[in-house]
Amino acid sequence: MPHMKSELDHAVMAKAFFGSQHPLFNTFGIDVVAVADAKAEMTMPFSETLADGRGALHRGTLVTLLDTTCGLAIFSALRSLRPIATIDLRVDYLRVIPSGSGLRAVVECIDWTDSVAFISGRGYALDDETPLATVTGSFAIDTLGPAFDSKEMSTS
Amino acid sequence: MTEIARTIPECPDVIAFHRAAEPFHLFLGLREGGVEGEARYYMDFCDKHVGNPLIRTFHGGVLASFGEVVAATYLARSLDRGDLPDCSTMTFDYLRPAFAGTICAVPHIVRAGRRITTVSVQMRLEEKLVCIGRFLFPVGGKPLGDKAL
Repeated sequence: MPHMKSELDHAVMAKAFFGSQHPLFNTFGIDVVAVADAKAEMTMPFSETLADGRGALHRGTLVTLLDTTCGLAIFSALRSLRPIATIDLRVDYLRVIPSGSGLRAVVECIDWTDSVAFISGRGYALDDETPLATVTGSFAIDTLGPAFDSKEMSTS
Repeated sequence: MTEIARTIPECPDVIAFHRAAEPFHLFLGLREGGVEGEARYYMDFCDKHVGNPLIRTFHGGVLASFGEVVAATYLARSLDRGDLPDCSTMTFDYLRPAFAGTICAVPHIVRAGRRITTVSVQMRLEEKLVCIGRFLFPVGGKPLGDKAL
């Protein structure tokens, strides 16, 4: 099967995809901490250019990090970088983001069908186990465009 | 349809609103306007907003962030508040791919309750509805220290 590759290969590809080649992920400084077994963990450092008026990362950065980590968890579940797109997302904010802190997102792909994947996860401040937010949602699989590990991706 | 352009630097109270959340608002490139007396908010695509670079669509998180900022700004204006309220819950439905272009957001207060105010934001790209966000604000609730609610 063309999509079946080892978990290690996909970790490497995912790190490449979520690395410096992607303008948004590069701007956010998003880093892949772990990806395996339908789970993913990503972090981003504090950045004054993405802060709110209190000197903390804006909540929008947490939503973006969570959404991105959802994608990586799904890639791990599918063992492929097939194109996906968010169908719906729910984020519950539990606490304010601490000033000057980076963020960490941990997401699991709970289950998936041929066309939809379902996720659940949490967002944290770096170096803190108290959740700042929870996320749930669903993603469409095999949406528009080529796979993220296609030749087009490497030349984009 | 008459569109009245109102850019941030021209209006001091608009500056105050966006200063409250800068510089993330600058990252989004949020612009405000109005159509026949109704509020409109705009976000122009740039490379830093990209989700799927192969088909050049907005990142889902950027769209949701934009929706939340629009909802908070609109609610603050409606309540004549000088600060932006924090939402406690957001739900976001992505209806179509949001390709590179200018997103127009249309906010609407669904219900202003005693404890919770619900704001809906529709986002359109070239007149087509691409996503809908629903944002719950605990406006009127008691402050809970470091808790968001």
